[in-house]
Amino acid sequence: MLNTIAYGLTIGGILYIISIGLSLTFGTMRIVNFAHGLIYTIGAYLLITTLPIFRENFIIGALFTVLAVIPISYVIERFVIRKLYGVSIDYAIIATYAVVLIGVDLIKWIWGASPIPLSDPIGIDVTIFSVTLPMYRLIIIMLSIAIFIALTIFFKKTMVGKIVVAALEDKDAVRGLGINVDKYFAYVFIIGSCLAALGGVLYAPITSVHPYMGMMVLLISFAVVLVGGLGNLKGTFVSAFVLGLVMAITGRFWGPAAETMVFIVMGIILIFKPIEV
Amino acid sequence: MKENPILETNDVTINFNGLVAVDSVNFKINEGESVGIIGPNGAGKTTFFNLLTGFFPPTKGKIFFYGRDITDKPPHKRVMMGIIRTFQLVSVFDHLSVLDNLILSNIKSSGISYSIGRFFFSEAHKPALKKICLEALKILGIEKKAEIMTSELSYGDKRKLEIAVALSMNPKILLLDEPFAGLSDQEIVEVSRIIKEFKKGFSMIIIEHKISRIVELVERLCVMHEGRLIAEGIPDQVLCEPLVREVYWGKEDGLVCSV
Repeated sequence: MLNTIAYGLTIGGILYIISIGLSLTFGTMRIVNFAHGLIYTIGAYLLITTLPIFRENFIIGALFTVLAVIPISYVIERFVIRKLYGVSIDYAIIATYAVVLIGVDLIKWIWGASPIPLSDPIGIDVTIFSVTLPMYRLIIIMLSIAIFIALTIFFKKTMVGKIVVAALEDKDAVRGLGINVDKYFAYVFIIGSCLAALGGVLYAPITSVHPYMGMMVLLISFAVVLVGGLGNLKGTFVSAFVLGLVMAITGRFWGPAAETMVFIVMGIILIFKPIEV
Repeated sequence: MKENPILETNDVTINFNGLVAVDSVNFKINEGESVGIIGPNGAGKTTFFNLLTGFFPPTKGKIFFYGRDITDKPPHKRVMMGIIRTFQLVSVFDHLSVLDNLILSNIKSSGISYSIGRFFFSEAHKPALKKICLEALKILGIEKKAEIMTSELSYGDKRKLEIAVALSMNPKILLLDEPFAGLSDQEIVEVSRIIKEFKKGFSMIIIEHKISRIVELVERLCVMHEGRLIAEGIPDQVLCEPLVREVYWGKEDGLVCSV
């Protein structure tokens, strides 16, 4: 059972890293961004492509990938997302879904459709409290906590952070202060996209890399965002780990129900804690 | 009086999928002048503000600031030019302290975001800026509350803070959208006093639907109805126009025309 919990925490950590960007985009721009899942997939593919170039150095490959999605996400933000501010939410769903479809086909064209496996980059097991788990997973959990702390400081202490937090509350009021909120939203979008790519990078060795890997994860991320609250930094962190544990524990008893259970839990939570928009 | 329009609209119209919320409005306000815009709910007053401040692009028509066409300028650029507004629902940031609300509003207009380290917000807490902000709070009588979270302020104090924020941004023209909405009678008197005291030099437009609250604050009154400007002039005169009386009180109100 402890092993299952450790696995759940790993999933939770990755879910947090992926969902936080989605939550911020959702919270600030009120845009449902399906393209987030594509960035995640692209992250995984960029990693497996660049690993041989960097002599299988996982850290450098991961860093390169995270930086490489900056121009990609900038293009998506500038030419798709920015056109969707203030228009009906269904347009955002259709437009960003179109981006996903185009992207997935491009991936299939470049890398092919068959899944590509990737081995654990560390390959060492550690034992804590009589639980043996791969070192790699432990690092993921710690990394997600580090990202949470870094983001919390970023949003509390920096100029960009303060402005974004204010914009989460009332973006027209921020505009009324003479601040170009769109610019700050673009920063948030790019940070979120980099984290999505990092999520793809981290998850790649645990599962296999395939063109549709972003789809399922995206839906679960939406569950994380809705349970945690739109644009709620702490809520997203807690809900990612809770839903990660739900997935792992359900999966232990009956594998096929793992993902369904996430949505059942989401439904139950939303009954008692309605979404604040 | 010498005409020196600071803000001017030319046939400004906005059409929301068939609903014409603002219809061919020609409006002009001179430097230093105070104008009230009154009209029933849904007359298009706030929408007109949103056009002036760039929150909505007009479907038709032009907007000029000191004779310069600003129709295509986004809201934040207009703020930098000195077109400052408040909102109908008080819009201060609950998650920030009272002082940080003021500081946030000044990082742009004071140029601080360019001059000093832009990265950490604490760097905006420079003594000079802090002093300006504290002075603004003092004027409003809420300086003791500078460090508390804005969410703990009463609605009236939040409104005062919002006005302090607007005043601290050195407006050339200040647009107040129903500044008295939701306030108690006592608070209305206070806010009204603040507006009267600190309206110096710059121009001002106030939206209100209760006429009595603004007659003494403005020199000129405009009446909007169904998106159109149906009357304008000095308050006493405007209120006596038959069309205005019809819109406000219905036909044959039987009231004696005096304010």
